[in-house]
Amino acid sequence: MRVSLKWLKDLVDVALPVEDLCDRLDMTGTKVEAVHSLGATLEGVVIGRVLTKEQHPDADKLSYCSVDIGAVEPLKIVCGATNFEAGDRVPVACVGATLPNGLTIKRAKLRGLESQGMMCSPTELGVGGDASGLLILPSTAPVGTPYAEYAGLADSVLELEVTPNRPDCLSMLGVAREVAAVIGTDFETPSGTPSESGEPASDAVRVSIAESELCPRYTARVIRGVKIGPSPDWLVERITAAGTRPVNNVVDVTNYVMYELGQPLHAFDLGKLGSADGVATITVRPAAPGETIRTLDGQDRGLAGDTLLICDSSGPVALAGVMGGESTEVSEGTTDILLEAACFDPRSISRTSRRLGLISESSLRFERGVDPDLAARASDRAAALIAEVAGGVVAPGIVDAYPGEKPLPELTLRADRVNAILGTALASADVVALLEPLGLGVVAADDALRVTVPSFRPDLEREIDLVEEVARLHGLENITSTRPGGRERIGGRTSAQRTRARIAATLRSAGLDEHIGYSFGDPADLARLSWDLASDETLVELINPMSEEQAVMRWTLVPSLLRAVSYNQRRGVPDVHLYEMGTAFLTAQGRKQPKERLMLAGALTGSWSRPGWNSPGGTLDFFDGKGVLETVMESLHADRWQVRESARAWLQPGRSADVIVAGDVVGWLGEAAPDVLDAFEVTGPVVLFEISVAALLKAAARASILYRDVPRFPAVTLDIALVVDEAVTAERVTSALRSAGGSLLESVRLFDVYRDVPGAPDDARRLPVGKKSLAFSLVYRAPDRTLADEDVRPAYEKLVRKVCGAVNGEVRS
Amino acid sequence: MTIIDDLRALETEALAAVESAATSEALETTRVGYLGKKGSLTAILRGLGALSREERPEVGRVSNEVRTALESALEAKRAALHGAARESRIAAEAVDVTLPGRRWPVGKQHVLHEIVDEIVEIFAGLGYQIAEGPEVELDYYNFTALNHPPDHPARALQDTFYVRDLSGDRAVVEGESDVLLRTHTSPVQVHVMESQKPPIYVLAPGKVYRRDVADPSHLPQFTQIEGLVVDEGITFGDLKGTLEHFVHQMFGPKRRVRLRPHFFPFTEPSAEVDVSCAICGGEGCRSCGGEGWLEILGCGMVDPNVFGHVGIDPERYTGFAFGMGAERIAGLKYGVPDLRLFVEGDTRFMHQF
Repeated sequence: MRVSLKWLKDLVDVALPVEDLCDRLDMTGTKVEAVHSLGATLEGVVIGRVLTKEQHPDADKLSYCSVDIGAVEPLKIVCGATNFEAGDRVPVACVGATLPNGLTIKRAKLRGLESQGMMCSPTELGVGGDASGLLILPSTAPVGTPYAEYAGLADSVLELEVTPNRPDCLSMLGVAREVAAVIGTDFETPSGTPSESGEPASDAVRVSIAESELCPRYTARVIRGVKIGPSPDWLVERITAAGTRPVNNVVDVTNYVMYELGQPLHAFDLGKLGSADGVATITVRPAAPGETIRTLDGQDRGLAGDTLLICDSSGPVALAGVMGGESTEVSEGTTDILLEAACFDPRSISRTSRRLGLISESSLRFERGVDPDLAARASDRAAALIAEVAGGVVAPGIVDAYPGEKPLPELTLRADRVNAILGTALASADVVALLEPLGLGVVAADDALRVTVPSFRPDLEREIDLVEEVARLHGLENITSTRPGGRERIGGRTSAQRTRARIAATLRSAGLDEHIGYSFGDPADLARLSWDLASDETLVELINPMSEEQAVMRWTLVPSLLRAVSYNQRRGVPDVHLYEMGTAFLTAQGRKQPKERLMLAGALTGSWSRPGWNSPGGTLDFFDGKGVLETVMESLHADRWQVRESARAWLQPGRSADVIVAGDVVGWLGEAAPDVLDAFEVTGPVVLFEISVAALLKAAARASILYRDVPRFPAVTLDIALVVDEAVTAERVTSALRSAGGSLLESVRLFDVYRDVPGAPDDARRLPVGKKSLAFSLVYRAPDRTLADEDVRPAYEKLVRKVCGAVNGEVRS
Repeated sequence: MTIIDDLRALETEALAAVESAATSEALETTRVGYLGKKGSLTAILRGLGALSREERPEVGRVSNEVRTALESALEAKRAALHGAARESRIAAEAVDVTLPGRRWPVGKQHVLHEIVDEIVEIFAGLGYQIAEGPEVELDYYNFTALNHPPDHPARALQDTFYVRDLSGDRAVVEGESDVLLRTHTSPVQVHVMESQKPPIYVLAPGKVYRRDVADPSHLPQFTQIEGLVVDEGITFGDLKGTLEHFVHQMFGPKRRVRLRPHFFPFTEPSAEVDVSCAICGGEGCRSCGGEGWLEILGCGMVDPNVFGHVGIDPERYTGFAFGMGAERIAGLKYGVPDLRLFVEGDTRFMHQF
């Protein structure tokens, strides 16, 4: 809502500076979003009084004056005008001022004497055509005051943020009432009563309303013999300040009264309305199927079934509350007017305006709710103004269909309830004093206040609404700050939340940065990843996505990470280590809401760090990813997990594994397949992993940690290298070693894998073809004594026999 | 030459040899040469048996003297050589301490989650639990139970993302579906109040979605932090005091807090909360658009209609709620000029914070 300060001051006595007014409005719930200056500001032009006027010693036509402008020292000004005397008050442009004609005032020497400013003529100020002499001001003009302020040239427009609960503040009247209440002064209600003559309106118009819910009130007035033309300056200035361009005098008046009182009005050309026996029949009804209307903007619009229409005998002539029709538009030749002032259902207007994409000052007001009580008063006011600016005769009476008339609501307000909610200690009398200036009728009853709510405050429906009014007028700044007690309160993160934080912290200490990507997904990523959904899985589809690339909710976090990798690589950042913990969405036929699963995903590419003078760098591969997972699992004390070779289509075959916890596949790990790298414009290798966070939480076994004795006796370490078939996995050999180790075997650690160079000549081979050598370090320890080699030997030899048998291997000599 | 003379001569020779040994190895050779199994002193001592009863004590005493003198000289020389060796090793091992260290990369938490965590810590300290809820919500939780009238504009297809409903339910909202991406974290309030009895003190951080085109000041996805308190005797003063505490913890004790009345469907009275500008301290400057204040959150007392939806007696219990955006706070704290930086994953951006 744009509020012209000049206009506002006509309605309410604003004695405080604009900044203070804005602060008051801010602090009572009507935020001033901006203040614009309108009109000439004439900065630097102030009112001065001529103290002395002497002849310029070297120029016949110039005088040399001393002028008081309220500063410490009077200005010395050389002047060429003759129509003034010492003692006169005149506008003075000081050094630095720029006049409307573009002249900037500077210190200047005129025939040897310095002039420190310029006394101005009306022409020079742009306020009149008289250039023959200075503008002589009345002797009451206050010396030192900016001239624009004195002359009322300038205007400020306050841009108010009106919250949806305050439709009343979408009018100058409402703002004036609010301002008066918040600064503690009175305001004036604009009104007008037209002088009426001729045939009564009811002889020319009949109104019927099909559904009173949709149209609680419809009034029509008739004005005959108007002359359409441009509006007078004052009217143009007002509606321009409010933000509307002038059209013609009749339309401008309807807009003016809408801004002034908040009642949208519509003027029909009465002559163009279909009539029977000279009586125009207005019907307010919902559209019938297939109906259309051509609106004022020349568009033909098809109408949905619940669009509320104003119709004459031949069909629709206006979209109620949104826009008029072209066929009955007021134009140059219009002489007779039907002036509509009505009240429509906010929801109906909102639907129509949104559906048609037509948002007007009128629809905005109806959407918020227009006071049904206002229609007749606004109609009177507008009719009187039309008669004033466009001539014409107002027909006696208003045709007023008001099926939705309701008594004013009465609410109960308990002062102790106010205090219980606000934490204040207000007495009943304080509450009354705060509410009454808002136009509420407040009567003290035995135990509470009875509050009558005026029709312009439809937002006040319950006791709590009145508490809010008390709060904002009392001032939130006047409420004492406290903090809740709360004896039975328990705070903090849950165990699962803490574990999640531990996982994230571990990943960061392992060198991974956290990424947060969009939760949206691109359905084309299914193909990019060659990802097959299970038969019972369906993507979560958005009905109204922002774009095709964000048409679904992501079912995996991988594309989000690959795109971040690509983004970094394209900007010359080769080392990218990312993790993301976020929701993946999948649904299924028959489901209303999707399954939301919290996933942990990671992407590693490049090196851990650039090669340095003392660190080699090295390209990250599968085992860096696996190492990250191992680190996470260790931090969770999860030991019942393993990986198993798998074939995931988006991973490179042979470098793809499933992550298994307690027998269930809960995620995967591997290097992105070449096709995937191409599809996401990424340079590989890129190691990826994705695991269900719920599974990690389940695997976490921190709660069951029990103390074990720290070893007190030294261990015996024996190394063994086993030559096995290529197909035998490290895990198989390791578990064979563990199970054959006996009670003294404390740990098994793989420390080397040896293979002959492929295609090496026979004499360079150290292993049979198709074999590899795995070297392990075995640690034997007894809890109660120092072991000697001889103590371990029997167990070791048994282990060698058993393991060689189990994995079909032999000890490499 | 008596045997005594021989011993003294040997002593002189041996001490000189010890003194002249340049390395530990040479010293050891010297030791073995005199004191080893085949050493010359050892040989003399072995010859003691052949001496007469009268000679034996004197020769024994002198030879022990010689041996002791030799041993202590050896020990002194050994220590000297060891010290010298250590010193030369130390000299050889000196490095240019200004060369860069061998570093392990340290991962960075996303700045938004850093802010969320900071806020969580503050409120956990005030006894709040952390609550979570689904990101794909029902209209009921996102709007209806939060006192949004049926035709509230936020429900429009142009503002809220709707999700295809596969349940076969006849959609009642917006003609197609009443399943949507939550537009705020406030539905978590409703879930918490449905499942928990007062006293309720929860903080609910999470992702929310609105149909805005991504540009420097908008994202279709952002991060909110919601707070809810329901208890006996909760007042607007409690809300004010809580938020002042939060602002002072988060932004520093010198920042001032101002609550301006506002409107939200699910709280009443409602307010917007401003923090005094860090640059100008409230005077108004370019950074705060001349206002002196920066808006950081919305809040209010829980509307009795919301309590009605979850079966909490509004006469017995009162409560407050507040919500803020992590992106906004990060933007204010660090002066991030473009919200899109938060979702692009540029590691050079991440490591700035």
